[in-house]
Amino acid sequence: MNVLSVKVNRAGGGRFQSRNRGNKTKDLNITSLIDILTILLVFMIKNISMDAAQKNAPEGMILPTTVTINELIESGKAVFLKIYPDKILYGAESIEVGSLQDFLNKPEIRNSLLRLLQMEARSIISTNNKPCLLIQADKELPCRYITEFIKFSAQASFANIYFSAIHTDNRDEILGL
Amino acid sequence: MAYGPSKNRSRSQNEPREPNLIPIMNLFIVIIPMLMTIMVTVHLAMIEITLPTEAAGGGGGDEATEELEELPKIITLALLPDRFELMVEGIEEIITIPQLSVGTYDYFTLDQNIARLKENNENQGTIDLLPDPTVKFDTLLRSIDICKSNNFPNIKYLTSSTKYYKAK
Repeated sequence: MNVLSVKVNRAGGGRFQSRNRGNKTKDLNITSLIDILTILLVFMIKNISMDAAQKNAPEGMILPTTVTINELIESGKAVFLKIYPDKILYGAESIEVGSLQDFLNKPEIRNSLLRLLQMEARSIISTNNKPCLLIQADKELPCRYITEFIKFSAQASFANIYFSAIHTDNRDEILGL
Repeated sequence: MAYGPSKNRSRSQNEPREPNLIPIMNLFIVIIPMLMTIMVTVHLAMIEITLPTEAAGGGGGDEATEELEELPKIITLALLPDRFELMVEGIEEIITIPQLSVGTYDYFTLDQNIARLKENNENQGTIDLLPDPTVKFDTLLRSIDICKSNNFPNIKYLTSSTKYYKAK
């Protein structure tokens, strides 16, 4: 039978005495960690971009990929329109307008979106800028909806239309090679 | 009687003191997550399209006729559910690019054809794009991208549902 025995040092008048060896705390060597963090920091500072337009990839949406990049026209101001397969979100605040079927079938939804676009276009024009519409749509979306939105935005004085995509340098990816 | 310095004292003076890295660590722990949240991992691109404008009608006379002869030919790219079709104004033959398999468009052949059209129509910088309502947005954007990368910077999105080709 194994018995767990504990040896107690009671040489000093019955009191427990601290062991000298265990008293010293070992210092944690964090130099290597600091090295890694410094490299990480430099890498991130190098790659960081403060461009707000590049950070607005909509969540839960798969954007198409393109090689070419166009810039917004001079003094252009973009209004975002996010078209998901099940919903439409308007503006940078992502105000939910309704579903695509609602947009096609319900006149009140179309009218409210048209009013929003017209108001936005007027306010942009009043600041001597040009209203631009930036459509962010899921890659699987049928063009029927895109065409409808383009027609729609033309009614609201948006002459400059842009599509949002993920940029790649690999042209073969576009050509399906 | 003076005593010599203790062993402990001499040892502590000789050994280099380790810098206190805890403040730096604290700073790093704050900065690195902050940078990770604002770091751009996906670069977004924008593709511009233009809307069709009403054709400027009227005009006449000899000068106008001469100008018309120098006008670039209208190139139209139709995106159909099973193929691409390219039509050049004044040429009856339509270039048809069928799908490689169901749902897989032949972008490579489209690219080659558009490059060839650009060689033949160097003064033309616009392609009219007519997508079928059922074609996916991905196909539309890839086609626009191919046109733009072949020096057709202006893409005119035809919203009209009128087909351009002759009925057989």
